[in-house]
Amino acid sequence: MILKLENISKSYAKKAILKEVSFQLQAGTLTGIVGENGSGKSTLMRIIAGDISANQGSIQHNGRTGYCPQEPILFPEITVQEHFRYFSAAYDINSKTLSLRVEELLDHFNYRKYYKTRVSNLSGGTRQKLNLSIALLHEPELLILDEPYNGFDWDTYLKFWDYTKGLKEKGCAILVVSHLINEKKKFDQIYKLENGSLK
Amino acid sequence: MKINRINTSLSMILKMLLRRKIVLILILLIPTVFLSIVEFTSAERVIPFQLASVGEQVFINMPEKSISFIFFSVASAGFLVSFLALNLIQKNHKANKRLILCGYHPIELLSSILLVLIVTILLIAIYIGILTIAFTHVDHPVSFTLSLALIGFVYGSYGMAVGSLVKGELEAILLVVLLVNIDVGWLQNPIFYAGAQNQVIIEFLPAYFPSQASMVKAFTNYSAISASLYALLYGMIFLIISMLVFFFKMRTK
Repeated sequence: MILKLENISKSYAKKAILKEVSFQLQAGTLTGIVGENGSGKSTLMRIIAGDISANQGSIQHNGRTGYCPQEPILFPEITVQEHFRYFSAAYDINSKTLSLRVEELLDHFNYRKYYKTRVSNLSGGTRQKLNLSIALLHEPELLILDEPYNGFDWDTYLKFWDYTKGLKEKGCAILVVSHLINEKKKFDQIYKLENGSLK
Repeated sequence: MKINRINTSLSMILKMLLRRKIVLILILLIPTVFLSIVEFTSAERVIPFQLASVGEQVFINMPEKSISFIFFSVASAGFLVSFLALNLIQKNHKANKRLILCGYHPIELLSSILLVLIVTILLIAIYIGILTIAFTHVDHPVSFTLSLALIGFVYGSYGMAVGSLVKGELEAILLVVLLVNIDVGWLQNPIFYAGAQNQVIIEFLPAYFPSQASMVKAFTNYSAISASLYALLYGMIFLIISMLVFFFKMRTK
């Protein structure tokens, strides 16, 4: 078991966003959570990632976690290369492993030519590629993806699924949250978040 | 706490700061504009003013222009450092939180921000110190420059406290500009201070001790140790508030 949520509840100004949400993820699985806009999907992801706390309930993590937020959260003034260096310090990745990981991610998502470009000069799609690459940099055992393919072109969208397939095979538990899931057969399980409860 | 993380963060924060053109423009322009305005507008008449931190009855007589140069150099140092400190702590708040989610400890990030702030304070104090000496005579240039670093420390810590407490950029800038304007830009002016009806209120404001220290070191041989220690204490209070708020806001849940 990589992740276990028990009775997670969250309210904002007395309005219940999540009501006793429970589920668990096993290694090497791909799980989806769908829900309408404002259904609490991103709140749930932020709770799992440790960004915000739940009002009640418990979360158990086992292993390294990678979190890709819905909007690219990056530093506008530094380059793609500098982002990799900065986040590698956070993940405690040594320089040899870092260069191998960076090579792989730049090649797979096809944005090597922007390696030395500042984020403020990147397109939305390339920012999203970097946003995702940061979550993947340390080869996580649990990957939390909040609307991960926002802004991707078709080719990158296919590459994204190709990459997640490889991760799954290596034993990574992947949680994808989206308002729309087309590739249902790729998922081991899909939950629907409705009125704050998982169905 | 890992040194390599602090080093990486330190170099990244410095890069980000130097790549913001507005930062360099403000640093170069504000003191030059302030001091040039004094040069072109202030009178040479001699006026008496009180050095309240030295003693109740300690007055010195100096030309209005000389006093204004010192006063405006203190004001520009306070404003610049306060604005930059606010920028350091508030800008990229979400990306900093992401770094913490990825493994950085809030104290590692805060240490880097503080180191950048110290470097910024020293550079701004030296730059404004040199500029002021080019415009007017200062009795103790090194001590005077250190007093500029003191106002930088007090107002830098204030900027950090505001940046930690207030989420909105505009509201935070308003809070910084408001206090800098009222305190450094108006009430600490020796010309105003000497004739003020209620000096106690002015003495409780953050710029009081650094302003006094700068006047003492610019024009007299009196000691400014007491004023400097009080200024450090004032700055430390703001700094501790900002560190605590930053830590509790940024820690992982």
